[in-house]
Amino acid sequence: MAATKGFFTDTTLCIGCKACEVACKQWNQLPDDGFLFTGMSYDNTVHLGSSTWRHVAFIERPAPLHPQSEEAFSWLFSSDVCKHCARAGCLESCPTGAIIRNEFGAVYVQPDVCNGCGYCIVNCPFGVINRSEDDGRAWKCTLCYDRLKEDLIPACAKACPTESIQFGDLETLRTNAQARVEKLHTQGMPDAYLYGEDAASQPGTEGLHAFFLLLDKPEVYNLPPDPVVPTKKVKAAWISMAAGAAAIAAAALTSVFFDRGNGHDRSHLL
Amino acid sequence: MTDPTYYDRPLLQESVWTWAIPAYYFVGGLAGSALVLAAAAQLRKSRAHQRLVRRCRWIGVIGAGVSAGLLIYDLGRPARFLNMLRVFRPTSPMNMGAWILAGAGATSTGALLLGTRSGLLGRLGEACGYTAGIFGAGLATYTGVLVANTAVPVWQESRRLLPVLFAASAMSSLGSVFEMCVEDAEERGIVKTFGTVGIAAELAAGIVMEKQASSVARVGRPFRHGFSGLLWRSAQILTAASLLVRNRRAVGALGIAGSLLLRFAVERAGTASARDPRASFHLERDRATSP
Repeated sequence: MAATKGFFTDTTLCIGCKACEVACKQWNQLPDDGFLFTGMSYDNTVHLGSSTWRHVAFIERPAPLHPQSEEAFSWLFSSDVCKHCARAGCLESCPTGAIIRNEFGAVYVQPDVCNGCGYCIVNCPFGVINRSEDDGRAWKCTLCYDRLKEDLIPACAKACPTESIQFGDLETLRTNAQARVEKLHTQGMPDAYLYGEDAASQPGTEGLHAFFLLLDKPEVYNLPPDPVVPTKKVKAAWISMAAGAAAIAAAALTSVFFDRGNGHDRSHLL
Repeated sequence: MTDPTYYDRPLLQESVWTWAIPAYYFVGGLAGSALVLAAAAQLRKSRAHQRLVRRCRWIGVIGAGVSAGLLIYDLGRPARFLNMLRVFRPTSPMNMGAWILAGAGATSTGALLLGTRSGLLGRLGEACGYTAGIFGAGLATYTGVLVANTAVPVWQESRRLLPVLFAASAMSSLGSVFEMCVEDAEERGIVKTFGTVGIAAELAAGIVMEKQASSVARVGRPFRHGFSGLLWRSAQILTAASLLVRNRRAVGALGIAGSLLLRFAVERAGTASARDPRASFHLERDRATSP
């Protein structure tokens, strides 16, 4: 098996050019999402989805970004993507086995197996995967599986002009990211931190294979502050199911042996 | 305390399921509880019980068939429905459910076809009947786990009682169907206790579940606000009303409506919850009250 690959998206380097969005659409031949004007800063892409596998968030923050400026305004840009979680809600919930972890450690939907049940969609704590209305199957970032097979790096990382999107071995990315955070701290940006870089920092997903460097709360970037893969919480529901099943059986036996109809039935005597 | 979101846009994707899925929760619950009751009644030899067994098995067989139809209809790729049985995956309640439904359908059909035979085939039919009862108990309850095993805040926080609520609702709906449609007073008499226990448990479980889901105020919001809140309250009122009226057909109609509406309320609540980014944010920050 090849080494685990991933993305490190350093949002402090993102300039909001959307080259990643375009490169992703081009390489993966994804359909357009309609040409809608949201009036929401420069973001007309809005969210990741079945035909949007990179999404640049535009945050017009009413707060200064030290040490760049003291003005009570700052831009934050962030290119969002499937996180390829170490414990992935979509993969664990997939009833057909269409969603697999491939040799690069990425979470991949096999289009020839997916039957479009839609269960992965409600199991992703990041709201990444969705079903295409075109063909009824679930789609999301493949980590450019086809490119990786040919020793090419994913289209978004290739197109990124500022190296905000970095692709590589997960271990190397983690080391580099840690160094970057420390450097930013010494340069007067104490708010810089890593989001989801390993299991310790995000136990709910046991770490992300696509992690981020952020300057504000995750919520500001529309990222969940403490995502948890649903199966980690579901034991209580299985216990409840056992109780419910036992209750039906008990009620059925009670009804059958102590029926209110004709008392203890005489019909077998007839 | 600041409470940021990204332009109030949703964090999560909302469910793409159509009306067929909550309808399936109802039909599957009805079929499942019927198969449990049939398996229990199989232990008794009176004619009334045997009539009950047969009627319940018909409900089970038809219900399982309709369930499969609804589920296949809802797929993005209906022709690939058999892929559901391609793997056995305990981490996926939907996969477990596909096996449970397949098992319930097969065993209930076996019981119905062989139930009246004598000799070895009859024995096999009897065994099918008991097995169908076990699958039926699963069918009536696993949908609660299916809904709870999601990233949708209100569904996730309902996990401790959702399967029990669905079990209760499955019992009450079977009781209601008998009240409304079955002329045989002896059979109705046997089912009466089953249905009434279901109605009482449905009301109690619903109240406690709403309270549990609301321990983070924003998470329980869909039960109290908007269209989902209206459906949820209406379901409770209809179910409660079924305990108060005298006319048996009205009792049945109210019970069925309450049980059906309950499933749609849970479905709608999930959609409302997925659209509300603060529901996820508050839950994950364990913030009890909204600022």
